[in-house]
Amino acid sequence: MASLTPRRRRATDWTNALFVLPYLIVFVAMIVVPLAWGMWLSTTKSDLFGTEGFVGLTNFVRLFGDPIFLQTVWNTFYFVLLTVPLLAVLGLALALVLNRQARWAAVLRTIFFASTVLSVTVVTLVWRLVFLPDSGLLSVVTRALGGTPIAFLNDETLAMPAIAITTIWWCIGLPMVLFLAALQQVPRALYEAAALDNASRWRTLTRITLPAIRRTFALVIIIEVILQFQLFGQPQLMTLGGPNNATRPIVLFIYETGWRQWELGYASAAAQVLFAMILIAAMVQYWLSSRREAR
Amino acid sequence: MRPLALLALALLVASCGGATHDDRTTLVVQRFFGACEAEYGRNTDVAAAEGECGIMTSIINRFEADNPDIRVVENIVFWPGYDQLTAQLAANDAPDLVTMHGSVIADYQARGLLDPVGGDLATVGITPDQFTDAARRAVTIDGKIWGLPLDSWTMLWHVNTNLFRKAGLMRNGQPVLPRSPEELLAQAEQFERRTGKPYLVQATANEYASYTRNFYTFVMQQGVPLFTDARHANFRTPAAHRALELFKQIRARDLTTQNQDYSAAVASFLNGGGGVFLVGTWMVQDFDTASRNPDSALHNGYAVFPYPQLFQRNVTFADGHNWVMPHNPERTLAEHEAVLRFLKFFAAHDADWARTGHMPAFAAVIDSPKWRALPHRAALAEIAHTATPLPKQIRRQFPIETVVGQEAAAAIAGNKSIDQALADMERRVNDILQHI
Repeated sequence: MASLTPRRRRATDWTNALFVLPYLIVFVAMIVVPLAWGMWLSTTKSDLFGTEGFVGLTNFVRLFGDPIFLQTVWNTFYFVLLTVPLLAVLGLALALVLNRQARWAAVLRTIFFASTVLSVTVVTLVWRLVFLPDSGLLSVVTRALGGTPIAFLNDETLAMPAIAITTIWWCIGLPMVLFLAALQQVPRALYEAAALDNASRWRTLTRITLPAIRRTFALVIIIEVILQFQLFGQPQLMTLGGPNNATRPIVLFIYETGWRQWELGYASAAAQVLFAMILIAAMVQYWLSSRREAR
Repeated sequence: MRPLALLALALLVASCGGATHDDRTTLVVQRFFGACEAEYGRNTDVAAAEGECGIMTSIINRFEADNPDIRVVENIVFWPGYDQLTAQLAANDAPDLVTMHGSVIADYQARGLLDPVGGDLATVGITPDQFTDAARRAVTIDGKIWGLPLDSWTMLWHVNTNLFRKAGLMRNGQPVLPRSPEELLAQAEQFERRTGKPYLVQATANEYASYTRNFYTFVMQQGVPLFTDARHANFRTPAAHRALELFKQIRARDLTTQNQDYSAAVASFLNGGGGVFLVGTWMVQDFDTASRNPDSALHNGYAVFPYPQLFQRNVTFADGHNWVMPHNPERTLAEHEAVLRFLKFFAAHDADWARTGHMPAFAAVIDSPKWRALPHRAALAEIAHTATPLPKQIRRQFPIETVVGQEAAAAIAGNKSIDQALADMERRVNDILQHI
């Protein structure tokens, strides 16, 4: 290949690009164009049936003066803070416990992953039956113990944690599987050497296991941050964003603004803010994990 | 393999060429009210059908049986179905007829997404003067008729008279209803003392619409306009404060069920969990049926009334269901004619539809002995005159209902002060109205 002239090399490069063309067409049509279109819409006054006119940054100015939107930003961050660390830690803990060649471990791996395949409708239905203050599981247990049932989903401070618990139950399967895959890549020889050196379980975990799976840990955090920022179905079905807007996330705001109020431009502006938030959060996490690795 | 392949090919050819060509006119109707194909999928006996879904399905089946040249494609959507409809209209995939609340018609009409039907209806003998006031107002915009009204509905005072009797709130065999906020609170406390149960049953969890409907009704009863014009809400008023304060007091004094969602509230009332269930016309038939069941807590103990007049005016907030025709320039004359026949058929079956509990859209049905002979209808007949929808120029009533309900719920639950809730309510609603 070294003998190719620059002109021939250029021709070959161009031919190679044809191999990625089908993917590129789909990528541009399904991702780049809608993204650019959304950005354009965010600078317009539009509904689903047409655009009335260009309004520049007016939608963004209105957004940052809208107390409901600002609350949805806080709610979304709060939800991410409640769920992502727990998903990572619990996912890792489950993976560590279930990372063995035993039948019971295989059964439990299946059980823990099973919730992930359920739809949000089923998951929220199940958990509403747990949280219902009148006849829910928790209320029955509380009454049996002589207590007063708590209206989790109607309480301003407890509603979001209740949604977070539902989400963790629903989403724990993916981090667990990712950690399991990573744990199975750690060379056995390292554990054997540690055993020969009489290393404690804690020391083995902190000196061998965790450093070996740190890339997966970063991956899980990035994936979960991206996923949980897009919270929608659970509050839509469990609380309708209430009580007192305490569980209204940005995506629900986007949906209500775009579809119920027919303000597509305004909804698109909120979507751009969400996009920026996810991008920044994922990039910061990526940058932090890469910097640690470089050391 | 070869015989199998030949057989498959033969089946394919047979399936393509063997089917008879259906030259009937296709009419696509899109509706909510649920799906009940298993029970009513083939039923054409409208009189034998029960409930919204059963009666709606049976009327459509009857129409298809009586009009063999029309094939009805029924698209059943999850309530209320407006997201789906909006997407269909944006994609130029409009059905021929759609069920739509009167409060929503103005949004679609203003964007040129509906066709007026007044002229067409007149050709088959249906004129607006035949509608009730509430039904006519629901479909009239700028002097034109934009749909065929199916009904009007309001919230009602569904009463467990067995518990009322125990509470000493029956006089001459009739429940004693309050005539002022003070009487309401006094009667509710008497009820709670004597029965140990809350006076009101309300769906307040994961539900905002009922908060809004109660708020609208009791502000309207004070004669104060909820909107000053098409772009401005008028919620920071003493009347609005009194309406929320009343429900806040009821909750604070434990005179209502709390934290029940819609299903739980219905179950609670059916099981004798409280005296008065605040829910709409659509439950009349179900509760009446329960009152005939000896095993039910409502056995021989159910009555229903319009909302009591607690303030100066006897009015109740109302909305209604209507058939509207989305704009479709490609609709053929035959399809248009099928639409018209369908609407005429439904108008003729208004009395059947009114068995659901909803108020008839035609004044003649309300005046008919047949309708008045239905259970409880004599007590409900006054709604024909007291039902009051929001002014037609107020658009986006659907999202506004949610905002008003959210803020009212926050005030009643004590999450924020009433004044703060009303200020937030007005600001949010004005924000929606001013960005239309």
